Amino acid sequence: MTTLHIRHPLAVALLALAASALTGLALAAAAGADPATVVDALVEGTLGSPFAVGTSLNNAALLMLVAAGFTVAYRAGLVNVGGEGQICLGGIAATAVGVSLPDDLPLPIGLTLTLLAAVLAGAGWAAVAAWLKIRRGTSEIITTLLLNFVGLALVVLMVQEPSLLRQPMTSSETLPQSERLADSAHLPLLGLPRNPATIAVVLAVLAVLAVGIVLRHSTVGLRLRSVGLSATAAARFGVPVDRTAFLGLAAAGGFSGLAGGLLVASTPFVLAEGFSSGFGFSGLVVGLLARGSMTAVIGVSVLFGFLVSGGINLQLAAGVPASTVTVVQSVLIILIAGAAWWTSTAKPANRSARADHQLAGDEAGDEGLDSGAVVRKPADDETEEVRA
Amino acid sequence: MNVAMLTEILTSGVAFAIPLLLAAGGESVSERAGVLNLSMEGMMLTGAFAGVFASVTTGSAVLGAAAGVLAGLIFGLAQALLSVRLRADQIVVGVAANALALGLTTFGARVLLDGGKGQGVPAFADIRIPVLSELPVVGPAIFGQTALGYVCLAVIAALAVVFSRRTMPGIRIDAVGEDAVSAGWTGLAVNRIRVLGVLIASAAGGLAGAQLALSEVRSFSENMTAGMGYLAVVAVIAGRWKITGILWAALFFGVARALQFALPAVGVHIPYAVLVMLPYLIAIVAVSGFVGSRNAPSCLTVPYVGRV
Repeated sequence: MTTLHIRHPLAVALLALAASALTGLALAAAAGADPATVVDALVEGTLGSPFAVGTSLNNAALLMLVAAGFTVAYRAGLVNVGGEGQICLGGIAATAVGVSLPDDLPLPIGLTLTLLAAVLAGAGWAAVAAWLKIRRGTSEIITTLLLNFVGLALVVLMVQEPSLLRQPMTSSETLPQSERLADSAHLPLLGLPRNPATIAVVLAVLAVLAVGIVLRHSTVGLRLRSVGLSATAAARFGVPVDRTAFLGLAAAGGFSGLAGGLLVASTPFVLAEGFSSGFGFSGLVVGLLARGSMTAVIGVSVLFGFLVSGGINLQLAAGVPASTVTVVQSVLIILIAGAAWWTSTAKPANRSARADHQLAGDEAGDEGLDSGAVVRKPADDETEEVRA
Repeated sequence: MNVAMLTEILTSGVAFAIPLLLAAGGESVSERAGVLNLSMEGMMLTGAFAGVFASVTTGSAVLGAAAGVLAGLIFGLAQALLSVRLRADQIVVGVAANALALGLTTFGARVLLDGGKGQGVPAFADIRIPVLSELPVVGPAIFGQTALGYVCLAVIAALAVVFSRRTMPGIRIDAVGEDAVSAGWTGLAVNRIRVLGVLIASAAGGLAGAQLALSEVRSFSENMTAGMGYLAVVAVIAGRWKITGILWAALFFGVARALQFALPAVGVHIPYAVLVMLPYLIAIVAVSGFVGSRNAPSCLTVPYVGRV
């Protein structure tokens, strides 16, 4: 059971990872860079200096937050494609609060206010989609997707209009971006030598662990899962389905919003067009790859965080377009999504054992059905359920 | 607001609506057969890139347009393999395929098309149909297209006729999309029909991208479709999977887009960003307001396993 079968999800993920990495190398070769240069540039951009490591870890922190939020909504059967828009709204709210705070406010208060605004704005943005889903039955995938475009345009609006968040125009060369956030809203560094890693890394890891515990060991987690597995059945058992689904999606937005807040609260401490730079999409990828495991969220986020900074250096040092990273990521999702059917039908015996386990855990509760010992056919389960 | 102004808004609105309508028309065939292609954005972008690349390499805009369709079809084959054959999650695959297309075309533009811009691209010239194009307001909007534009209009019309709800192909795709299992029992090759649906959508998407790149913009730039493919999918939903509804939705988005450029010209000061987000806001209202999921094909995004 513990042997790594070729069709085990982890093995499939590793194979897909290898295949997409090869795709990346092939593209780099097509752009005229030899593999040695590419690997050098990647290593230099990720592990070559404390600066590179710190930047990668900061990226990973943002991905962890978006992916953790994605997982919460996914448990309730909702797919949050709106990470990018929620990051935008979080960034806008954090900027609005951050620039109006006095510089000499104690840091814990200033930072808390700034990030709280970001969480609320992100959650509010997702709540729009959640509300439409519950009241009008609109697919949250379509609405969160469309809200991304609105969110991105809102950032442009905010930084271009002097009456909104644009910095005072002193000359014609004033950049369309916000003022610097007050000192009291600046995210402190972790204090490692010559390393730009901020406390965002610690915050994100804590948030991911908290999500893991809540999903696994709390009533809220159980409710989310029951709504995701079968809303009708959950309703029969008295679970407030609408409220649970709403909270699930709003929480996802809150996490992405926090990521947006952390982005503007780090260097260069301003809101500018395109500041969200694809973290919403990458976070979704991480969430999908992690398949609900918080350990995997942390692992994959760190991997992708390093990949993003590696990709930037790839462009600088080896002249390979940074969009190669996007290609690698999307090939990875497509392979994993394409192999999903192959993966899950791999070992019928194992699968029905797992189904047994779930039934035992969910329906029979503490009655102590031993799942591992006997592998029964699904049909037997059904008759047993009817009898119960 | 005078007649000249109105003509200009309608003309640029229709120019935007044609690729949108073509993509949405193809997408509606696929959706009625039960396969959602969120990857329409990627299909259009691929079509636009292939169109410009082939046009630059061969020096012929016609070959460029053909390459756009071909690239769309290849994209569609991959999409069909994943969505229909491998039963992958259609939404996940769609979003990822868009990212893949964005990444690959951006990469291609940097490497193959000098610094991301294809300058001096052999493109299609406007053909003004005598008399008809002199008609007030609607004349220049409809009868002043490029040759490729007229092809697009013809394809849209053909799709509307061939897949209407009164023809055999139309009835078949509806059967497969509404109740795949029963359709399978009556002897219809469910998955083959679905693959064809995806291919029609992708060919239409590729052609729409080529139209955008070779008739309108006349060059390629990174992410040049900028959400148009998503709007096409929304137009299908807002138009309740009926060609007339889709037509109005596409025109509506087209005019909303045209206003982005027209309003500042008349002296109405609305920030550019507000006008950029307008079509998407309208789309959200349209998707949630007019339509629930009642009219959606019952088997949309549900894979078909085989006879049970």
